[in-house]
Amino acid sequence: MAKTLFEWDYSDYPGAKTYPHLFKPIQIGNLMVPNRIKYAATEDNLNGHDGFVTDAGVEYMRQRAIGVVGGLCFMQGVYMDEKRQGQGYVGQAACWDDKFVPGLKRISDAIHEAKAVAGFQLMDCGRVGAVEVDYCHGPSAVPQRLRIFKPVQEMTNAHVKTMIRQHVDAARRGIEAGFDIMEISGIVGYLISNFISSYTNRRTDEYGGDLRGRMQAVVEIIQGVKDVCGADIPVGIRLCSEELLDDVRGNTPEESMETYKMAEEAGADYISCTLGWQESIYPVISRDIPMGNWIHLAKRAKEHVNIPIQMAYRLFKPGLPNEKIGAGELDIWEICRSMIADPHMPKKVAQGKEDEIRHCVACNLCLARLFRDAPMTCYINPVCAHEWQDEFANPKAAEEEKEVMIVGAGPAGLECAYMAARRGHEVHVYDKRDVIGGTLNEAKNAPYGDDELWTCIEYQKVMCEQAGVNFHLGTEVTEDLIEEEMPDTVVLATGPAYSRIEASGGDSDKIVNLLDVMSGKVEVAETVVMYGNRKPGIGGALHLAKQGKKVTIVGKEKSAGFDVNPSFKWRYMIYMRQNGITVYNDCDIEEVTDEGVIVKAFDGVRWPIQCDTVVISDRGPNESLKKTVQSEGIELFVIGDALIPRNLSSAVHDGYRVGIRL
Amino acid sequence: MPVDTEKEISKMHRMLHSTRNEIGKTYYRWRQVAIEFAGDDAKPLDVSLRAAEIFGKDIGKSFLPRMNWLKGEEGFLMILARSLAGLWNTEGGLATVEKGENPGEILIKCLRDPWPTWAKEYGAPMEEVALCRERMYQTILEDVSAFMNVPLKIELQKAISRGEGETVMRLSKAEQG
Ligand SMILES: Cc1cc2nc3c(=O)[nH]c(=O)nc-3n(C[C@H](O)[C@H](O)[C@H](O)COP(=O)(O)OP(=O)(O)OC[C@H]3O[C@@H](n4cnc5c(N)ncnc54)[C@H](O)[C@@H]3O)c2cc1C
Ligand SMILES: Cc1cc2nc3c(=O)[nH]c(=O)nc-3n(C[C@H](O)[C@H](O)[C@H](O)COP(=O)(O)O)c2cc1C
Ligand code: SF4
Repeated sequence: MAKTLFEWDYSDYPGAKTYPHLFKPIQIGNLMVPNRIKYAATEDNLNGHDGFVTDAGVEYMRQRAIGVVGGLCFMQGVYMDEKRQGQGYVGQAACWDDKFVPGLKRISDAIHEAKAVAGFQLMDCGRVGAVEVDYCHGPSAVPQRLRIFKPVQEMTNAHVKTMIRQHVDAARRGIEAGFDIMEISGIVGYLISNFISSYTNRRTDEYGGDLRGRMQAVVEIIQGVKDVCGADIPVGIRLCSEELLDDVRGNTPEESMETYKMAEEAGADYISCTLGWQESIYPVISRDIPMGNWIHLAKRAKEHVNIPIQMAYRLFKPGLPNEKIGAGELDIWEICRSMIADPHMPKKVAQGKEDEIRHCVACNLCLARLFRDAPMTCYINPVCAHEWQDEFANPKAAEEEKEVMIVGAGPAGLECAYMAARRGHEVHVYDKRDVIGGTLNEAKNAPYGDDELWTCIEYQKVMCEQAGVNFHLGTEVTEDLIEEEMPDTVVLATGPAYSRIEASGGDSDKIVNLLDVMSGKVEVAETVVMYGNRKPGIGGALHLAKQGKKVTIVGKEKSAGFDVNPSFKWRYMIYMRQNGITVYNDCDIEEVTDEGVIVKAFDGVRWPIQCDTVVISDRGPNESLKKTVQSEGIELFVIGDALIPRNLSSAVHDGYRVGIRL
Repeated sequence: MPVDTEKEISKMHRMLHSTRNEIGKTYYRWRQVAIEFAGDDAKPLDVSLRAAEIFGKDIGKSFLPRMNWLKGEEGFLMILARSLAGLWNTEGGLATVEKGENPGEILIKCLRDPWPTWAKEYGAPMEEVALCRERMYQTILEDVSAFMNVPLKIELQKAISRGEGETVMRLSKAEQG
């Protein structure tokens, strides 16, 4: 008889009717899990640099546990060696000694308080490890493709055996800390995958050679962990279904499926189907990859093994996983980033409140921060990693109700509006446009997935409606209007001021604004110069190149797209090359001529570029209305691009921070 | 002000050449420093060869993201040879790549090389120029070989600095040891 930890009845949850397959129980090993939802293990860099769990980490997990409505909630992968070669992140949780057990127990307790199933993950980061020491370790000393990682030291046979033992010991500590299910992480190029891959395992002892040899360490880990876990605690493993390393002679997909069978034979109770390596040249989870792109791999995995298959990877909405579980092509819907962005995402699905979900925009900032030793932050969710700071995450009602005028219904204005209204202020949002969303109305037309940015506005709209925000669309705020209304507070969320070309020809009628181009309001000729090399300029250039235009970007920043995080920027660089876009960085437009423009580089070198349209995407702070508000003695805040042109993230974070302060 | 293209290009061309020239000379200025610090017991050639190894190690790492087996062994060797020639060209050389007589053999030929001129100016031996190039490329190959799991070797066959009119290096697969 399978063990049930917590009873859940979803019959009153409307989402359980819409997505019946997501809310059906499933048996994993001897454990009955009430639904098909799993918060997948997520490093957050929130632990102490000594590996001890912190309040921030516990509260982060508590919210995700509430979110899975009784399902599986996994904590981040722990490293297991005292030498810290397997540690991949400065704030990764450690489990190489019993002294870590009490801290880890705080996490399992928080998960249990939400009546969810607490998952523990063992993760030696292998060739991606050693943040605090000089060498990471791996089956063979194959150099890293990316410079940011430490050199790899080949593990001796004794070292491999110790590492296997460390997994088993850590699993025992996980059980002592109260966890209900155990997972071995063989994801994205960490140690387990290093042993399995022909790319990184060149050993000649029993832990190398053919596929069975390369799986030997993994098999021994599974068996050892199973032994300590006993019958009641299931043991699963995350395994690569496709390494996407064909350019460096990694395993074939067929070999990967063989590893699934070997893991099942060794006693694994489930497999989490993963793909790609950090060293792979193929993108897997960025916004340019369509949602659901990889789900066929779960089906293929199910054709090879009989244990439950779990999978994440751009499954941001419940429809597809529900359908695939119903069709027998997937067993458990894993979620990572969607629950970084909205910890209660699946709960909202269950409650039939999908329109209240703050969707992840697949920007990969969360990942980029891990590699830069920074604590977790989410682009779109200002509360992420601040869950433990009550005054920030759940701000109190305002002591004094104010009349707040917010100028601009872009993401900054909307975020501020609903937070302020929730706290009891009377909030009026004005926009000269007839619609909300600000610049995202245009930004969403850029290719490679930028339409997903709009989900932020959809969420904010619902929040504003619920909080009783008053809208005055189609209304430009002028000095007169401010004087007439005399609000207590004005928040200027007016977006950026687009630059002018302060040079000869700057008034040419071949010059147009990016927003008019993106909305199709103006005609654009066949040859175009895009002025501005940040993301808006890149998005605009790609949009035009897709229409067959010949586009050249000229921008003042030293590197194009410096405002895009590195985990996503490389995609744009490739797309610009593929779309024939030429980029001149560290340059300005010196003159607009009848033939085109004259570009001047930082060192004074000048050259002409032929073009019939010049698009302005370069932006500066927006000073308008500031003086009026100040001279009236009204409390003033400037947020979003109006303060300093940045991006959607800064708009949302600024809006939130001011919204909770008013 | 209209652009005088010829003037702009010649300005850039001059800048490129003087930059390269300065970089070459800076190498030899630092060589002098390193030899002084190494002391009387150290041989200048050993100091320079060690520098070639350090350069090679670092440059080898920057090659790895570009290495690719999708076009098979021959394609991979060609990408590698082009990267080695490209490196030389950036320094001001005139290097090309051609298939050797035997399968799996690629020749990197350099018809013009600024390094002997700089060496002469700073009194470094000509043989050192030849040996350092060879050592640097050999060190680059160490990481590339380990990365791709293909033993590679590169040998210097002729050298401008030896008065042979051109530098020729032969890239091929090494026998598995
Ligand atoms: C093509 C393009 C691609 C982009 N791509 C990305 C991306 O990939 N990622 C990303 O993070 N960001 C991207 N951005 C930038 C992002 O859209 C902005 O950073 C974000 O919208 C700024 O939000 P905001 O609320 O500060 O200002 P805005 O969104 O600009 O909103 C300001 C609003 O204020 C209104 N307003 C101004 N003055 C007045 C007034 N006097 N009275 C009434 N209303 C007024 C305007 O009509 C506007 O609706 C892109 C932008 C463009 C143009
Ligand atoms: C910030 C971040 C941290 C992650 N940490 C882990 C981890 O500790 N262990 C692990 O197995 N996978 C980790 N992953 C991978 C995720 O669990 C997940 O498989 C992947 O992000 C794809 O799912 P998604 O598209 O829902 O984000 C991490 C992913 C992110 C974005
Ligand atoms: S940082 Fe970006 S990718 Fe990560 S969860 Fe937030 S929105 Fe998604």
